[in-house]
Amino acid sequence: MLQMQARSAVIYEELDVFPEVLVIGCGTEGAAAALAVSENQPVTVIDHDTNHDGLSLIKGQTNITVNAGVKVVGLDGFPGQFLVSFMENGEYTKKSFGAIIVALEAQSSYDAKKYNRIELGERILSLSQFIKKDNDYSRQKVTFVLGQADRDSISSYATALSQAIALKEKDADVSILYYDMKVSADHLEQDYELARARGVNFLKYEGDLQILKTDVAATVQYSEPFLEETEQVKLVSDYLVLPEDYVAHPGTADLADVLDVNTGPNGFFQEDNVHFLPIMSNREGIYFIGSCHGPIYGVELEKEIETVKAEVGRFASGKTRVASLQPQVDAEKCAVCLTCYRCCPHHAIEIVHDESLNNMYHSAARMNPLACRHCGICSAECPGKAIQLPNYKDGQILQQLSRPPKIVAFACENSGTLAAELANKIEPELNALIQVVPVPCSGKIDALYLLKALERGADGVLLIACQKENCKYSRGNVRADQRKELVRKRLEAIGLEGDRVDIVHVAANQGNQFNESIRSMVARVNQLGSYPGKVIR
Amino acid sequence: MIVVENKSAEDILKMVAPYKKILVAGCYGCVTVCLAGGEKEVGLLASQIRMAREKEGNPIEVLEQTVERQCDKEYLVNFQDKARDVEAIVSLACGIGIQYLAQVYEPIPVFPGVNTQFLGANLDVGVWEEYCMACGECVLDKTGGICPIARCSKSLLNGPCGGSQEGKCEVDKSVDCAWHLIYDRLKALGQLDKMAEYIPAKNWHRNEGPRKLVKEDLTLEQ
Ligand code: SF4
Ligand code: SF4
Ligand code: SF4
Ligand code: SF4
Repeated sequence: MLQMQARSAVIYEELDVFPEVLVIGCGTEGAAAALAVSENQPVTVIDHDTNHDGLSLIKGQTNITVNAGVKVVGLDGFPGQFLVSFMENGEYTKKSFGAIIVALEAQSSYDAKKYNRIELGERILSLSQFIKKDNDYSRQKVTFVLGQADRDSISSYATALSQAIALKEKDADVSILYYDMKVSADHLEQDYELARARGVNFLKYEGDLQILKTDVAATVQYSEPFLEETEQVKLVSDYLVLPEDYVAHPGTADLADVLDVNTGPNGFFQEDNVHFLPIMSNREGIYFIGSCHGPIYGVELEKEIETVKAEVGRFASGKTRVASLQPQVDAEKCAVCLTCYRCCPHHAIEIVHDESLNNMYHSAARMNPLACRHCGICSAECPGKAIQLPNYKDGQILQQLSRPPKIVAFACENSGTLAAELANKIEPELNALIQVVPVPCSGKIDALYLLKALERGADGVLLIACQKENCKYSRGNVRADQRKELVRKRLEAIGLEGDRVDIVHVAANQGNQFNESIRSMVARVNQLGSYPGKVIR
Repeated sequence: MIVVENKSAEDILKMVAPYKKILVAGCYGCVTVCLAGGEKEVGLLASQIRMAREKEGNPIEVLEQTVERQCDKEYLVNFQDKARDVEAIVSLACGIGIQYLAQVYEPIPVFPGVNTQFLGANLDVGVWEEYCMACGECVLDKTGGICPIARCSKSLLNGPCGGSQEGKCEVDKSVDCAWHLIYDRLKALGQLDKMAEYIPAKNWHRNEGPRKLVKEDLTLEQ
């Protein structure tokens, strides 16, 4: 079913790169990243109108330049050779960097609506106020109220736990009032156990809370799930600590625009994508660390910094070696139409001018080996058929379709081919009916491949793509959806059944779904009969 | 750029109905850029034609080729091997290319595979908008760089008309009123006085027949 292709030997290129790394954001997160990275290579940190909490940590450090009052307003070039434009005191400046780390910290915002409109004060503190304040809490009763704000993130849970443990050491009487204790992250389970062992009270509430305040104490009134519904418990404390919501830094959208990187849920950096490591953006050489992509807590941040340090470390020597796996453009066929440039989800394409390029413009698209992620989307979009992706050239794909069986399934290698392998183990009988043609991304499935499969004898064709919003290459599966429509229309326009083409969205572990969709396609084409448009001679 | 749209497969199939062997001819110029007549589209159309004819039990052989520009005879020559071999040609170039191809390859019948639409800008992948109608006497200097001929539904030289409402055109509410745009642009440029300037009626010199441009100082010896 699955034909493995012979891959050609990989050629490597050695490229000159700028070792210096730009860190955008001068809070404690950006400073921590800068300190780590500066062990290997020079770093420039700019504040980009954000806070300066990290300044004291990095001032005067060797290998670190701090530039306050500077904003990023433009970006050209590719990983290893980015050219960043800055606005500094009303003047433009430009500088080259190998990589960029975004660390625009999220901002906490106390939302009184989440706590029956109680205002903060002497006895009622937000979590970040509490951390900053250096009170003596010995013999004081301190209560953390979790689960009202910042419900989906784990960072307030982590912070409250570590603060509670520390308070216990200072002999305070600590309670954590929770609705649903979230401990599903590294070290949190241990912190939770430790807090229990140290005598922190964990109290569960249900439904709404009432917070009342007097000059000497603060009271939470709540329902205990284990007691009669009518009974309300009153918990009187000296201090109440209320976590805030985290919101993306207000400069996020603008910076995302300048850097051409995607944002995701709640306006934070980074799209919601299971294929992405926490620090990854849709562009190579641009990384997100810390709360710029959502609330985060200490241990996670440390891990991210370690990863980013290793990633940008590739450029530390000023040279880097990269496999030439990016698509190649046949200049004779390139109309410099910009379609590939506009469609590449990773900003990996430039239009170059060179007298040696053999067309009337002496120009052609060129894919950057460091920026390209080899999805092949560009090659499927090109109206001139000028782009060929190594190992997945049109010829190599069409060659596999010399005598197709009933169904041809063009399958994304991030989901479809894996599901197909699983499917094959579950139901090997289906094997004879289908041929799976692997592609690096469903966005690589050219409309021509679909027509050719039918022309050459298949009765039905399938595009097997990743689940919606889970495309490793951001929007390949959306393009695949559009192509299915396009080919359906083309078939209907010549009086043939558009239903012979369909798309299925699967995850790698959905072998059963895969077989299900094959079976339903087989049933469909059996009903329609043999495809009358076959051109077999 | 010249913007074209693909003709329906039904129309094209009718044109080629009498033939058993044809060439689908693409152009790497404007029609590739507007995603309608490059090598890719040639492949898609050829495949459609083949499959449709198989279905009818009346197979057809379809050759495919794309050249640099169909509006230059030096490039058209490249079709000659294949053209000699077919009964008809479907061209996916703009109206210019189609005609020139028909002229050069007479007496082979040449059919249009596209409907040539307008001269426009490519605003984004898959989006084009008409910007110029090649009127022959440009007035963009008076209109803040926005063409009233192409972009005003009535091609008014002294607009707006009474149907301009909240920036939209009375002919179609989804269309921006060109004269409203012109007003805004002139204001931004500090040239609002140009609004009051009367633009005289144009010399639509089509009354001299089809237009032709000959630059004597550039032509080669006759
Ligand atoms: S899509 Fe193709 S023709 Fe257009 S610029 Fe890219 S390579 Fe050139
Ligand atoms: S293969 Fe993908 S990442 Fe590489 S240039 Fe093409 S579209 Fe961009
Ligand atoms: S033939 Fe038409 S489409 Fe082709 S380059 Fe010339 S003007 Fe453009
Ligand atoms: S006035 Fe309009 S139609 Fe005439 S040449 Fe200028 S842009 Fe083209």
